[in-house]
Amino acid sequence: MTRLPRGLGLERFSGLYLWAVLIVVFSVWQPLYFPTMATVHSIAADRSIAAMLALAILVPLACGAFDLSVGATANISTISAVMLVNDDWAWPTVVVVCTLLGTLIGAVNGFIVVKLKVSSFITTLGTSSMIAAFQIIITDNAQPLPPINASWAAFTQSTILGFQVVVVYMLILAVLLWWVLQHTPVGRYLFAIGSSPEAARLSGARVDLYTWLALIASGTIAGLTGAIYASLAGPSLTYGASLLLPAFAAVFLGSTQVIPGRFNVWGTVLAIFVLATGVKGLQLATNAQWLDPMFSGGALVAAVAVALGRQRAAEEKARRKLVRGEAPSDARVAAAP
Amino acid sequence: MSTGTSSATAGTDSAPALDIVGLTKTFVGGHALRDVDLRIGAGEVHALLGENGSGKSTLIKTLSGFHRPDPGASIRIGGEELVTGSAASSYALGARFVHQDLGLVEDCSVSDNLAFGPGFPTRFGTIRGRAARARAARALESVGVEVDPDRHVGRLSPAQKTGVAVARALLDDESSPVHLLVLDEPTARLPEHEVEALLEIVGRVSARGIGVLYVTHRLDEVFAVATAATVLRDGVRMTTQPVAGLTRDSLLHHLLGAALEAQERPPLRSDPASEPALSVTGLGSESLHGIDLEVRPGEVVGVAGITGSGRDSLLGTVFGARHRDHGEVRVAGRRVGADRPDRAMAAGVAYVPAERKLEGCFVDLPARENIGFGSLRSLWRGAGLSRRREHDLATGWFERLDVRPRSGTERAMSTFSGGNQQKIVYGKWFERQPVLFLLDEPTQGVDVGAKAELHRALFEAAERGAAVLVSSSDTEELIAVCDRVLVLRVGELVEELVGDEISAHALTRACLGIEPDQASDLMEVMESEGDPADLRHPHLTTDPPDHPVDHRSDRAAVGSLEGDLR
Repeated sequence: MTRLPRGLGLERFSGLYLWAVLIVVFSVWQPLYFPTMATVHSIAADRSIAAMLALAILVPLACGAFDLSVGATANISTISAVMLVNDDWAWPTVVVVCTLLGTLIGAVNGFIVVKLKVSSFITTLGTSSMIAAFQIIITDNAQPLPPINASWAAFTQSTILGFQVVVVYMLILAVLLWWVLQHTPVGRYLFAIGSSPEAARLSGARVDLYTWLALIASGTIAGLTGAIYASLAGPSLTYGASLLLPAFAAVFLGSTQVIPGRFNVWGTVLAIFVLATGVKGLQLATNAQWLDPMFSGGALVAAVAVALGRQRAAEEKARRKLVRGEAPSDARVAAAP
Repeated sequence: MSTGTSSATAGTDSAPALDIVGLTKTFVGGHALRDVDLRIGAGEVHALLGENGSGKSTLIKTLSGFHRPDPGASIRIGGEELVTGSAASSYALGARFVHQDLGLVEDCSVSDNLAFGPGFPTRFGTIRGRAARARAARALESVGVEVDPDRHVGRLSPAQKTGVAVARALLDDESSPVHLLVLDEPTARLPEHEVEALLEIVGRVSARGIGVLYVTHRLDEVFAVATAATVLRDGVRMTTQPVAGLTRDSLLHHLLGAALEAQERPPLRSDPASEPALSVTGLGSESLHGIDLEVRPGEVVGVAGITGSGRDSLLGTVFGARHRDHGEVRVAGRRVGADRPDRAMAAGVAYVPAERKLEGCFVDLPARENIGFGSLRSLWRGAGLSRRREHDLATGWFERLDVRPRSGTERAMSTFSGGNQQKIVYGKWFERQPVLFLLDEPTQGVDVGAKAELHRALFEAAERGAAVLVSSSDTEELIAVCDRVLVLRVGELVEELVGDEISAHALTRACLGIEPDQASDLMEVMESEGDPADLRHPHLTTDPPDHPVDHRSDRAAVGSLEGDLR
């Protein structure tokens, strides 16, 4: 798990090279359909929601906490947004309310994890089920009607340089999180807690506070993502759960990229779009429906296997270096008297 | 062939359990072992001593078939030549190993643990529980361990666990009878009162005609259990002698060489009139009862005490790492609340915990971030943390504390050796320029050279006006660095030794609570140039002969204080 800057090393940016290979292969295979701006825009817009959920997961993962409830949170936020817009609420109010709904869910998760000492995995597994139950209660398990509201649609359905504006939202979020995680003390505290909570506490990090804040952040981002999805695609009762796994796959795959051995923003974003490109290309070529879940699941398992294998290799290397490094110092001590 | 290794133990006609001739192991850049000879007779207990990095582990790993030695070495186990680098050959010739980490499954029963290796006795695929238990009971009895095979390993005492591990290692295997048992620091994690039980197990094993290679740091165990001892230093065998001809001093001399004489206590540096950097009143917790103490700027104060005295929890409780029930802690006059390390740090306290890898550093993060973590505020530059400044800061500490490798600031903490890790931890705290250092076992697992450098860095900090409180089980260290030593017994501060009063004997006496006149006989034995092995004989001490148990526990405690040469 060393972090040696290795320039444009094959290892750190293997995802970029893979991406390039995929693009070339599919461009040759499907010259009519694949290498078009339409493909670029559709991948970018389709995957921005998954990317935002992945970024939401990234924050608690940095400090060693799982948030499995982001999918359910985004979903209930979407449903709430649609219902509020149908009730003629102004769209900025809707976005704020739905985001705050996510914040509330994150705060509850944090309370259970920090105060009741339940593991984050169990906590968010449980709360996500409860959130899904709430969603059934407020909808009667019937999908609300898609809102007919121009300003609400304009929130996400405009374009900038041909890209849908959600891509820009996602990139703004990515830059913000990159700055927080890589360039502020908060990020250092989170990664330190993820490395060793007790060592972090004894080095002055408020472990409970930061764990709580991280879960609040993931809930908030999920809430916001849900509102954006509502405007982009309209109501859906199930998309949240189906995005959870691709989001985790991207975060873990991302931890093998850019800053290997550490969950990081640009690795995550890269992983999302490399996976999406592969899936899109194959879908264009074969029209198969099972590709996306197959790819996401496989990528998750493969990413963790690669990360663990690399960790073992690094430890082995370190062990060998230690043996080598100590030997000369022994010789030095022996030579002294 | 080594001289003086053979001992007058049983089985002289049978082949020696272990016979190593000319063992050299070279790693890239240096020797880990140089031309080492070692011979252990059947039924002999042979102690192997050496500082960290002396080559003990390499020797053991060569025996177990993990390392392949340089050509030319001959290793015979039970008279048969070992196929080097082959774990299967090591097992087949009858070598068995019990490592420090016993490798028992805590959640399973003793009989399950004994069956994992050879397999469970079964009928039609179903475990025959009674047969498994009976077999386990036989194995336990053969090493003299009295435990119910149905008990969960997690509920056993540390000595009992070690006993189970020994029983597992010695399980009957008709195809390869056991000739050699290697015990790697079996008592490192045992409390004093359990050591005796383990030594009895070792005696049982050797009585079966099995040669025992007993690796330890504790000198008193050598005299209690071994018939001969070998000392390694820097990969070279310094001596092999029958224990009967050895003294503590000669062993220490072989172990440490010049390092022993190099220790020098610095003069008192503090101004007694100055305001205390730390003042603690009425400190109470689970293991501490009403501790009052003061440390002044420039002072290095030690904390001594045996296991259970509260010594190992005092500093953590002052800092807030451990829970404080009552009492007040003031740092430079400012009150510091309980259980808040962050507040203590803000008041200018640095705390180096004893468990470095778990609590002291972030093993998977780079050294640079480990050092910078304590000074994030000073690294903030307008729009973010300045990586350049952090890099300079880390490089600076690598140079000042001589961390090797020098260019390793971006390497993960786990890639450094123990001594260098500890230096990096010190760098993190030094950068904060604390007014008070709380150091728990500050040089545990650190080699002699790094130890001296860390002590020097501490003296420099004290000279600049920092107060230092050191808790250590290493008596030599306390003598070497402290102006005063506070002695704890059963959670209370019972004595204070100042300046020239600090000596190994005075510390031992104070820690054990022996009155000077009562202790004189015991001390006489320890001071005498004679054979310390005589400590084993009760008639030389004041303990009434009809209470041998009390005597043993005292002696074990003496050993842990004086003989523990981490």
